[in-house]
Amino acid sequence: MVPSYLFFLWSYNANVSFWILIAALLGAIFLTILLVIITPQIRWRQWKYKVDEHEIDLHYGIWFSRSTLVPVKRVQHVDTRQGPILRQYKLADVVISTAATTHKIPALTEATADRVRSEISTFARKAKEDV
Amino acid sequence: MSEPKRQHIVAAITQLLQTIRQNWITILVLLFVGSGSDSMFGPLLIIGFAVLGLIGGFVSWWRFTYQVVEGELRINQGIFVRKNLYLSQDRIQVIDISAGIVQRMFGLVSIEVKTAGSTSKEAKIDAISRDEAERLKQSLRSNDSATGEEEVAELTPQKVYHLSYKELLITASTSGNLGIALSIVVGVFSQVDQIIDEERMIAFFESVMPASVGFSLVLSTILFILIISWLLSFFGTLIKYYDFTLTVNDEELHIKRGLFEQKQLTVPFNRIQAIQIKEDLLRQPLGYASVILESAGYGGEQQELNSTTLYPLLKRGEVGNFIQEVVPQYHISVQAKRPPKIAIRRYLLRMVWVSLLIIVPAWLFIPYGIYSLFLIIPALVLGYGQYNDAKIGFSSDDAETLLLQSRLLSRRTAIVKKYRVQSASTQQNPFQRRLNLVTYSLTVTSGSGGQTFTIRELTETMGAQFLEWLSEAGTDNVQSEDIFSLSSDATE
Repeated sequence: MVPSYLFFLWSYNANVSFWILIAALLGAIFLTILLVIITPQIRWRQWKYKVDEHEIDLHYGIWFSRSTLVPVKRVQHVDTRQGPILRQYKLADVVISTAATTHKIPALTEATADRVRSEISTFARKAKEDV
Repeated sequence: MSEPKRQHIVAAITQLLQTIRQNWITILVLLFVGSGSDSMFGPLLIIGFAVLGLIGGFVSWWRFTYQVVEGELRINQGIFVRKNLYLSQDRIQVIDISAGIVQRMFGLVSIEVKTAGSTSKEAKIDAISRDEAERLKQSLRSNDSATGEEEVAELTPQKVYHLSYKELLITASTSGNLGIALSIVVGVFSQVDQIIDEERMIAFFESVMPASVGFSLVLSTILFILIISWLLSFFGTLIKYYDFTLTVNDEELHIKRGLFEQKQLTVPFNRIQAIQIKEDLLRQPLGYASVILESAGYGGEQQELNSTTLYPLLKRGEVGNFIQEVVPQYHISVQAKRPPKIAIRRYLLRMVWVSLLIIVPAWLFIPYGIYSLFLIIPALVLGYGQYNDAKIGFSSDDAETLLLQSRLLSRRTAIVKKYRVQSASTQQNPFQRRLNLVTYSLTVTSGSGGQTFTIRELTETMGAQFLEWLSEAGTDNVQSEDIFSLSSDATE
C-alpha cells in the first residue's frame, strides 16, 4: 500500500526524494515480514488449550496475553466451524458457547477439532449429570 | 384457560402505533416526496396509510389468540406468515406487566413473557385487562403442586419497599444518566449549526455580545449544556422511577414503577444471576447507593440493557440490611484484597491518557480549550479513587461467593455466586507483565447476553488464584487462609 502510493506520488511529482521512497519500501517490507510471517508464528506458539472433565483452559495472545477458564458445567454447546480457507488446509475452529460467552480455539486439524468437540461435550454431559 | 382468547380490541390501535413507530423514517420520506410533487397527493397518502394500518392492526388483532394449555403458553399470530409460539412454563424467566399511555386510557395492560436468551418481543400480549393479566400470570407461574400456597404468598407479601417522594427527588437529581443526557444535548447542539446557517448565528452572537466572543461565552455555553442535560436526566429519572415499589415474597421479587408507562416486573429468586451495588459519582458524596440485579432473560430499557434496578436509592449504611432482607443469599461479609501498591501508577497513568483524549482536541479546537488542562487534576484523583476502590474477595462464610469492587466513574460492587459464573479470564499486556500485574474479569449471564465484571492490576498470583477458584478441581484446595495470606504486599 504505502510503497505503491509513494511510487504513484513519485512518478508525478519529483519532489519526493528517492531515498525516502527506498526507506518507505524497506519499512513496508519489514512490516510485511513481521505481520505475515513472524507474528502468526508467535501467535500460534502462544496458543494453548487444555480440556479436562472440570474445565476448559485457554491461553493465548502476544501483546495481551489472556488466560480464560470456562467450567465445563457451564458449556451449552460446542461447534466445529470451517470456512473455505480452513477447509483447503483440512483445519477447523472449535467454538465453545456458554449462556453468556463464546470462546474459539482456532485452526485445529479436522481430526483434533472433532476429538476436542466430542471430548468437551462428553465432559459437559457428565458434569451436568453429577449436579 | 384452555379456550383460545383474543386480546382487547385496543390491541389493533397499539399495533398501528407500533407500525408507525417502526417505519417513521419511511413515512417521513414518503410524506416529503409526496408533498413535493402534488398538493393533493400528500394528504391522500396519509389517509391511505392510516386506513391500511388500521385494517392491518385489526386483522392482526383478529389473528392473535393466546391460551394456556397444560402449563404451556400458546400464542398464534400473524397475518401472512402465521406463527405459533409454544412456551413451556418451566422456561419462563420473567413475566413483565406494563401499561403504556394507550393501555392506560382503556384501563388495560400489556404482558410480556420472557425466557432466557429471548430477544424478540414475540411472547407479548399487547392489550388485556389487568385481571386477565393477573390470572394469566398465576396460571403460568406456579407449577401444579402449590397453587394454593402461592396465592397466599401473593396475598401476604413479606416485605414492601416503596420509594418516597423525597427519595425519588434525590434519585432524580443525582441520576447517573447525566452522561447520556449530556451526549444527547451535545449531539443536538452539533446539529444546530446545520439548521441555522452560520452567518446568521454569528450575526446573532455579535448583536448579543457586542464586545467579543470571550471566555465567558465559552464558559456559559458549557454551563448551559450541563444544566439542560441535568434537567433532562432529572425528568427522565423522575418518570422512570415514579411510584417505585418493590415487593418481596417467598419466591420472587416484584418491581413496579413508572409515571406514564407503568412497568411491572417479576423476577423469581432462582433467576438472579448477580447483585450489583452502584454508587454514582453524584450520589456517593451524599452517601447513597443503588442496588442492581442481573437476571437471565430480562432485557430492560436501552440504558440498562441487561440489568434492572432492584432499588434506586438507599443510604450506604442500609445497603447491607436491605440485601439481608431482600436477597439474603447475597449478604456476605468479606475480607477483601486489593491490588498491590505498585499498581497505583498504572491506574494514574491510564487516567492521564484518558484525560488527554479530551484535553488535546479541546486545546486545538475550542477557544480557551487550554484551560481543559486542569482536567488532569480530577482525572488523577479519579485514577487514585479507582485504585483505592478496586477490591476482590471471597465471602468469609464460604468460598462460593465472590465480591468484586471497582470503579470507572461510579463505584460498583458486584456479588457473584460461583455457580453463576460462565467464564473467567485474566489478561496481561506488556506493561503489566513488567510489573507482574494482570486484569481479571468474570462473566455472568445477564439478559440475552452477559455482564462482565473486571478488576484491573491484580498481582499474577491473585489472578491465578481467582481463576483457579472457578475450576471444580480447585475448590477443594482453596482454603481461605491460603487466599488471604497470599499476598501480604497487597493488603495495606
